[in-house]
Amino acid sequence: MTSTVERETLDVDVLIVGGGPAGLSAALKLSQLQKRTGGEPLSIAVLEKARETGAHMMSGAVLDVSALKELVPDFLDRQAPLASEVHEDHIYFLTPGGKLRFPITPAPFRNHGNYIISLNRFVKWLSEQVEAEGIDIFSGFAGREVLYDGDRVIGVRTGDRGIDKHGQPRDNFEPGVDIHAKVTIFADGVRGNLTKELQRRFQLGAGREPQSFAIGIKELWEVPAGRIRPGTVIHTMGYPLNTEEFGGGFVYAMPDNRVFVGFVSGLDYVDPMFDPHVAFQRFKLHPLVRGIIEGGQMIRYGAKALPEGGWNTIPRPYLDGALIVGDAAGFMNSMRLKGIHLAMRSGMLAADAAFEAVNAGDASAARLKRYETLINASPIRKELYPVRNVHQAFGHGFVAGFLYAGIAMVTNGWWFDRMTGHAGQDRIQTIARYYTRRGRQVPEGATQAVKPDRQVTFDKLTNVHYSGTRHDEDQPVHLLVHTEVCESICGPEYNYPCQRFCPANVYEIVTEAVGNRLQINASNCVHCKTCDIMDPYQVITWVPPEGGGGPQYDGM
Amino acid sequence: MKIAVCIKQVPTREWQPRLNDTKTWIRDQDASYEMNEPDAYALEEGLRLKEKHGGEVVVCSAGPARAAQVLREALARGADRAIHVEDEQIGAADAFVVTEALAAAMREEQFDLVLTGLQSDDQGFAQTGVILAERLGMPHATIIMEVQAADGRLRVKRELEGGWFQWIAMSLPAVLTIQSGINQLRYATLKGIMAAKKKEIRKVAAPAGLSARQRILKLDFPEKGKKTQMIAGGPEEAARELVRRLREEARAL
Amino acid sequence: MILVIAEQKNGTLNRASWETIAIAQQMAGGQPVKVAIPGGAVGPVAQELAAAKVAEVVRIEHEALEPYTPDGFTLALSAVIGQLAPQYVLLPHTYQTRDFVPKLAARMGRALVTDCTAFRPEGGALAFARPMFQGKLVAQVVPEGDAPHFVTFQIGAARADAVVKGDAPAAVTTVPVTVARAAIRQQPEAPFQEAKQAVDLSQAERIVAVGRGIKSQENLELARKVAAAFGAELAASRPICDAGWLPMERQIGSSGQTVAPKLYVALGISGAIQHLVGMKGSRTIVAINKDAEAPIFEVADYGIAGDLFEIAPALIAELGK
Ligand SMILES: Cc1cc2nc3c(=O)[nH]c(=O)nc-3n(C[C@H](O)[C@H](O)[C@H](O)COP(=O)(O)OP(=O)(O)OC[C@H]3O[C@@H](n4cnc5c(N)ncnc54)[C@H](O)[C@@H]3O)c2cc1C
Ligand SMILES: Cc1cc2nc3c(=O)[nH]c(=O)nc-3n(C[C@H](O)[C@H](O)[C@H](O)COP(=O)(O)OP(=O)(O)OC[C@H]3O[C@@H](n4cnc5c(N)ncnc54)[C@H](O)[C@@H]3O)c2cc1C
Ligand code: SF4
Repeated sequence: MTSTVERETLDVDVLIVGGGPAGLSAALKLSQLQKRTGGEPLSIAVLEKARETGAHMMSGAVLDVSALKELVPDFLDRQAPLASEVHEDHIYFLTPGGKLRFPITPAPFRNHGNYIISLNRFVKWLSEQVEAEGIDIFSGFAGREVLYDGDRVIGVRTGDRGIDKHGQPRDNFEPGVDIHAKVTIFADGVRGNLTKELQRRFQLGAGREPQSFAIGIKELWEVPAGRIRPGTVIHTMGYPLNTEEFGGGFVYAMPDNRVFVGFVSGLDYVDPMFDPHVAFQRFKLHPLVRGIIEGGQMIRYGAKALPEGGWNTIPRPYLDGALIVGDAAGFMNSMRLKGIHLAMRSGMLAADAAFEAVNAGDASAARLKRYETLINASPIRKELYPVRNVHQAFGHGFVAGFLYAGIAMVTNGWWFDRMTGHAGQDRIQTIARYYTRRGRQVPEGATQAVKPDRQVTFDKLTNVHYSGTRHDEDQPVHLLVHTEVCESICGPEYNYPCQRFCPANVYEIVTEAVGNRLQINASNCVHCKTCDIMDPYQVITWVPPEGGGGPQYDGM
Repeated sequence: MKIAVCIKQVPTREWQPRLNDTKTWIRDQDASYEMNEPDAYALEEGLRLKEKHGGEVVVCSAGPARAAQVLREALARGADRAIHVEDEQIGAADAFVVTEALAAAMREEQFDLVLTGLQSDDQGFAQTGVILAERLGMPHATIIMEVQAADGRLRVKRELEGGWFQWIAMSLPAVLTIQSGINQLRYATLKGIMAAKKKEIRKVAAPAGLSARQRILKLDFPEKGKKTQMIAGGPEEAARELVRRLREEARAL
Repeated sequence: MILVIAEQKNGTLNRASWETIAIAQQMAGGQPVKVAIPGGAVGPVAQELAAAKVAEVVRIEHEALEPYTPDGFTLALSAVIGQLAPQYVLLPHTYQTRDFVPKLAARMGRALVTDCTAFRPEGGALAFARPMFQGKLVAQVVPEGDAPHFVTFQIGAARADAVVKGDAPAAVTTVPVTVARAAIRQQPEAPFQEAKQAVDLSQAERIVAVGRGIKSQENLELARKVAAAFGAELAASRPICDAGWLPMERQIGSSGQTVAPKLYVALGISGAIQHLVGMKGSRTIVAINKDAEAPIFEVADYGIAGDLFEIAPALIAELGK
């Protein structure tokens, strides 16, 4: 069907896929370069799968304003929505009932001069700056596949719309559009479906270490007055994770008694019964967090993966006709839990390279390699290179990791240079290996599951309700799963880990007379990408659902 | 046919309400917004009528500056131009005020047909279309599931309760309030979105001194306050007891 | 004086009118309540209404008022209301009410508060509770400006049998009205029922909904029998519709229908929030679930913690008695 339909086509100079901080910064920078040099205006288009820009933004977030200062120097006059300047910075090591405060905040964790923001609001604002430049932002359009001429990227095809759940076109069927561009900038975020396709096809990760990921789960709370001072930033380590798991929690306090509470779990855990959502619930039950949120109201929920591998895992970010920016390329400082400023800066540098290439009429890889050169000379490398092994070090246990984080700063990171990581998801062990053979009891549900009290802790379905997720239900399932692997191998070996690592209850095992059946509640999906990353047999592929579907992360 | 479609920007269905400090209105700035659902169907019906009979579709909205979002969306779907009665307070106004403001902006346009949604997802008055008809001096029909137009006359299918319908004829100009589901909505296209940028959104101020006919004293979350009576006993006993209580206490049978 | 405008069609009274009369009686506090009944020939209906303990039943009769048109009703009622000068005009929030009352109120320049569920005194006046934002919030609204104030009440806001009956039938009077045929711009045709139409669960009085507790498609037959025994429509939670066991239009919840029937019976439904938002407005909710901790019990009026496969047959038998 898709091959015979007549498609709209659109030709632009630069196409940007993904309207997050990286993509929008690239767009804005392009128009600034254009203005500075004069001449024919470039045609620039931004594709964003969310119904409106910002709706799929889910972050911490403490913003390092270094890149913003360069991109929009008058951001304060233009009323960038920065919820609060950071006034207090705390790091705690949590024990089950208590906490140890780190007497000093190590330099990389210091947040002086940074701002607590809602990335959702910030990106909405950024998109207004972009639209004011006359750039088209097409929200509600997902990039579905990359278009090639030979091995040169020539653009992107957007997803078809108006297809029913049996794959048949409905009356309002609207075929996807082919957008052709001289340069395509991929800003499709962590585990972007298009970047993933490029990485596979062109082996962009060759010679680099495999990426590793984490999943962050967060809630926005309105708490009783006086619980925490606006501008307070808290990071935690330790409880509820054990020493074989990487991750930590955060609490960011904003004005109006609004508080972000979140927990990041490395997707390199070994216990097959681990559930990141459970870890988050336990974090909220810790007296430190509970004392802040109890009696308040949870008003938003979200989850999203983040790249954690750092410098050594960044794939080749340029190819014929294309550049990769932001989280899609892995520009994220996992030790500081900060990627927004790096995403923005990488977008700006990509804009630079793309602008030059378009003007020169040459968008070959050789020309676009300049992007990599620019990155190597930029604050991005300066920030990421020294800590290039931190995550891998944590892979060797929490204490080693934390020691390392400190030493890395002093030694510029040579110490662990030969410490190679492996793709995090490979570390998950089978039930037999983790439990049975060690004589451990397999828990009935997830490890240390808590019964939701619906005050402080919630079940996944209730949480998803607060993510504002909506999809047209009459569309094909957008999670392509080789289900035969589930029943025959993954189920018996790992006890269906998808039930646990998905934070939105998309995967459910239904026991029927004939045996277990995997039920995929695709419309619950909050687009976190965890399943695409984490399933042990790599049999789940996340593809974008009909444009406009997904979470609605107001204020997140 | 010169068709007006009145659309309203309302909080998305997924939005979790938050109240302002005085608990008399929502915290507008916290919500995300979209086109009121029945209005989207009204727009689609307008576009289809235009495709069949020619003419023009003008979308009209009374709302704060942010309401321009839904007007632009309507232009992207194919409306020809827009009228925005811009007023920061009017998003919370009652149907009297809203219709007065809309009528003032629409009167001189001399529309042949005015379509609205049957009610809005925010305040849910179900009054706007009907009062607008009164103010514009046009006949109207509500909760419409099908529209036939020919020779300056309309024949429309009105939904009645309990699965009943009724055809109603009237001459143009007229006002119809449209029921969700009357048609299948089209998607905005890239070309449509780009074209929309060049279309006119005429901004007009709301007439001064409009006085509301109702005031919200207070907004609350609905009370849970139900006490569940658990019925114990074996199946027969429990069934008997349940049926008794449904008959005698709840009178639900 | 409080004036209730009752609704009839071809001589059959709309039962919702009783509910509105009951509310008027509760609101009255010493004021007289009158009931007006517009239509073509409303004698018998007026007699029926006269059973209520009210000051007067007013026949508003004119051949141009049958069949109903908004233009005809607005003309006739604006004249009569002007003459009777009530403090409040109350109506049931039916489709017909929605069709003409906004016009009538606008013509008279008076306040109209729609879809109310309750009233309460508020500093000398009355405030009316009405849902807003699709039932996510409840607003207390006061009408403003000169009397009369028009207020419409949701079906089910009161119980029809709460009407206080008089010791003797109330006086029935006729107010003459003139309605010029030529002033009526709508030409209605006879109502008809669609041969094959989609189910409209929002109109159902009773609903029996099944969830995954029903286990298999074959067992749906049992649920159908329960529904039949209750005289109810059959509906379901999402997994049932997802599996194709029932069509999607029978799904209740955030991505399905929102319903508020008189009786909602949930069989083997856990009560996930997405399901609850679609049905928690039901007047009486019964939950049958073998898990006594299931969240559905939190919104239920009556709960049975037990196996539906044992309870459902017993219920069918009991209802059949
Ligand atoms: C829990 C958590 C906490 C964090 N805390 C912080 C913090 O405190 N400070 C900080 O600086 N950073 C933080 N980060 C990291 C930061 O959020 C990211 O690094 C940053 O958002 C990356 O920006 P991006 O533009 O590259 O990608 P994204 O922000 O992911 O944006 C990508 C966009 O592309 C869209 N998209 C994806 N695929 C398609 C497609 N096929 N077609 C169309 N559109 C598509 C997406 O919808 C999205 O809008 C945190 C991340 C998480 C998950
Ligand atoms: C975006 C989104 C939209 C959604 N939209 C909807 C929607 O519109 N409508 C909807 O319903 N859901 C919706 N859901 C799904 C919802 O979250 C739940 O998954 C669903 O409602 C569960 O259906 P259930 O109660 O039938 O199944 P379950 O949750 O599996 O519950 C089955 C129940 O049956 C009970 N049971 C089992 N056996 C028996 C027995 N023999 N006797 C008695 N009881 C028994 C069990 O104790 C259990 O409580 C949505 C979810 C999302 C994320
Ligand atoms: S299905 Fe996959 S992408 Fe969607 S919420 Fe679950 S884990 Fe995340």
